[in-house]
Formats: sequence, C-alpha cells, structure tokens
Amino acid sequence: MTGLVDLGDGGAVALWVAALATLVTWSILFGVNRPFRWSQRLLAGLATGYLALIAIREVIVPGLVEPLLAAPAEHPALWIALGLGIVLLGARWLPPAIGALPIAVLLGATAAFALGGAIVGTVIPQLAGVALYPSATGGALSSGIVAAITAVLVLLAFVHGQPRSRAVAGLAGAGRWIMLGGLGVWLGYLIVARLALLADRVGFLVVDWLGIGR
Amino acid sequence: MTDRRSPAIRALRRIGPRLAPLTLIAVIVIGVVVGSVGGLRLGAPRSAAAWAFQAALDGAVARGRVLVAFDPDIGTYAEIRPAVRAALAQLAAHGASLSFISFSPEGRALAVAELDRLGRGSVQASHLLDLGFRAGAEAGLIGAVRSAIPDAASGALADGLRADGGGVAAFDMTLVVGGTEIGPRSWVEQVAPRVPQLRALAIVPTVLEPLAAPYARSGQLAALLATTRDAAAYVDLVRGDPTVAGRPATTISDLPPAALPILLGMLLTLGALADAIAARFRRPTDGEEIAA
Repeated sequence: MTGLVDLGDGGAVALWVAALATLVTWSILFGVNRPFRWSQRLLAGLATGYLALIAIREVIVPGLVEPLLAAPAEHPALWIALGLGIVLLGARWLPPAIGALPIAVLLGATAAFALGGAIVGTVIPQLAGVALYPSATGGALSSGIVAAITAVLVLLAFVHGQPRSRAVAGLAGAGRWIMLGGLGVWLGYLIVARLALLADRVGFLVVDWLGIGR
Repeated sequence: MTDRRSPAIRALRRIGPRLAPLTLIAVIVIGVVVGSVGGLRLGAPRSAAAWAFQAALDGAVARGRVLVAFDPDIGTYAEIRPAVRAALAQLAAHGASLSFISFSPEGRALAVAELDRLGRGSVQASHLLDLGFRAGAEAGLIGAVRSAIPDAASGALADGLRADGGGVAAFDMTLVVGGTEIGPRSWVEQVAPRVPQLRALAIVPTVLEPLAAPYARSGQLAALLATTRDAAAYVDLVRGDPTVAGRPATTISDLPPAALPILLGMLLTLGALADAIAARFRRPTDGEEIAA
C-alpha cells in the first residue's frame, strides 16, 4: 500500500476504487472523453461535499454554533460574524450597499494581512538579503555582489512605460535573459517532479494494485 | 504535388501525438517493473539542502515540541510524500512530539491520513496531537499565533502547550509542509514577524521552489526541501541514519524506486522536445506547402 489507506477489507476496496479512478482518468490518453468527464464530475462532487462537511463539522458548529449556544453573552464578536454571514447569504435580496458590507470586510482584512505581511516578511528581509555590507569578505562579498547585480538587472526588466536610454534597455534585456535562464532551470526541475508524480501513480497501479514486483 | 514520405512515416506522424503519452506511460511501467539499477539514483549526490535539512532536524529544538503545519496540495503531495515521511520519521525517532494543524481543506484531508498512519506506526499517542483545521487561510494563521490549541484537545501535551500560552510560540519548531494555498511564504510573512524566535523548516513541491528558495537563502527558513532530487537525497540520508532506520514507527516510504522510470521519461521528453525543435527547422514537404 502507498500508506494513504490501509484499512483491511476497506483498504482493499479503497485500493480498487483508486486504481479504477486512475484508469478512468487516463482514458483521455486513448481519446475517450466521456469517462474522463465522469471522473472530473466525481472529483468536483467529492470536493464540494468534503468542503461542506469540513465547513460544518470543523468550523461552523464548533466555532460558531456551540459557543453561541453555550454562552451567548460572552461572544459579541461571534454575533457580528453571524450577522455578516447572514447578510452575505441574503445579499441577493438586500440593498447593494448592505450586501457589499461583508465582502468589503473580507477583502479589506485580506488585503491588510497580505500587504502588511509582504512588506514586513518579504520585501524588507529580501532587500536586506541583496544589500552589500561593508563587513562582507571573500565568498560572502562575491555572493552579495552577484545577488545585488542580479536583483538590479531583473528589476530593470520590469520597468515599463518609461523612456529608457540604450544602456538601460540593454541592462533590462540582460535581466530578462537572467529571468529566462532561471525559468528554464525551474521548468527542468518541474518536468522531473511531474515525472515523479506519474511514476508514483504508475507504481501504485503496477506494484500496489497488480502486485507486480512487490 | 504529393507527400513523398512513406505511408508508414505519414501514419506515424498522424498518430504520434496520441501515442506519445501512452509511450511515456509504457516506459515508466518498464522502469517501475525493472526497479532499481546500480549506480542510478534520484537523489542529488552532494545536496547541501538535504544535509542542512537533516542537520536542522537533528538539533536540540527538533527533539521538543514540533508543530507540523500540514497544508500540501492533493495533486502534488505524492512528489513530497517520501521526504515528509522521512522528516516525520526523523522527528519521531528523536522523541519529538508532533502536533498537526492545517489551514487548507486539502491539507486537512492529508493530515488525517498521516496522523492515522503515524498512530498505527507505534508513535506514542502522548507524542501525537491533532490540532485540526483552522479556517480563514492567512487570517486563521494569524489567529493560531495567539491560540492554536482547540478546546477539545486533551492530554498532557495539549495541557503543556496551553500552559505555555497555547499559541504558535509554545512550540520549539515548525515543520511547514506547504502547498499553493498556505506554505512557507504565508508562515514567513504572517507568523515570523509575530513569533521571531520560532525556527521554521519547510518541504514544498517543486512548483513552489521559486517562491520558497529566497526565504531559505535569507535565513528566514532554517532549511528547505523544494526539489525532487534534494528530497530524494534527504530520504537517502535518513534511510542511512542508524538512529532512525529500522524503527517500526519510522516507515519512510514504500514506493518503488523512481530513478529509472524518471530517467526513461526524461529521455522520451527530450526526444519529443528535439523533434519539436527539428520540426521548426525542417523544410516543409510539398503536401504541407499546398496545405499551407
């Protein structure tokens, strides 16, 4: 077994279902579309059911319903959340200004989290990472110079819509080639990774399901 | 004017695109059946990332209370599964307690399966804790900084964590098993500024390597495994570690060796790429000129 499921007889059933689902999905390789569409619908249905289940069992009931039923007066924030949820559900029948309120809260909070985190956690530390420090020597200095030059060239490649001299345009072009080089390396890794996924699935069918080479 | 190529070649060109994926699967089947071949290894021979990862999990903090932030994607989990299991095996073998938390529904489904596997693998129940699923993605992550232990969690481990504040800061280390929705970027951006002393390591699929690698280079992540070769090298290191290997709780991976099928797949892919490049420079046949 791959270890994902190993439940005795139930595991055997799961093994067969997984093997058949894999074969049905691969039917697209033979140019047979209909079974592949069934597998897509099955996946969409299972994912929707699972999301609903996890939302009810692990979020709404323990995080909202139970605390409000147990001690309604102690959770004012949950009442606000419940109110916003009801407004979101009924947005279709409410005036647009009211219906947009929960979405505005959601978008505003998400943007604030993301923007603040990006600046504090990524932009500042990464800028510090490519900065050249006077105390750096040897390998650290050469590595720092390469990182700083690479960062400047790649950032120049993203400067659009501004009048540029021939030298700056040339440097921006060099930045684009550096990016393409990095992208090529990453795509090479990605092909290996995708082949590893395919080999895993083939291994599942050949070894776990058919029992060849076990 | 007619196409002067032989009918066999014309037929092959016509059905080639359909045959290619089947051929790829066929060579991978051959590779899987043949199994391991001497001298052929998937792991990078001197992977600095793998060494750094093993060393980080050998440290003193990795023997304490470890938070496993488990949010891989179902589609790419198979790629990192051996490395994740090796890391869990290394932690379990050194006596670390493992507390699983998920911020994505996909991660939660996989975390349940891994918890079940570890529980059946004779990891002591007192060293395993299911912190469940936290809704809200990054907002949930920020909420976990303050409170990560659900009311329903019980036992000495849960009580000890509550006594130390109950938030992410109560843990000695975090192992981030990342995916597209929540991964090392979310942890570095949202948790690290709030809990700067927390040591974080990450395992992510290759598709997220460009996003995660800068954090490892800047030291914001203590160690990172983000490519198949580094992950395989790390698995080899753990398999060769006498303090980990052979323990019943530490079944690392029971997958067939993947080096040969991947090599055969790469050769086929390179062949297809070369054919595509050659086709760009190939002179069109008379028939193709007419069609154009």
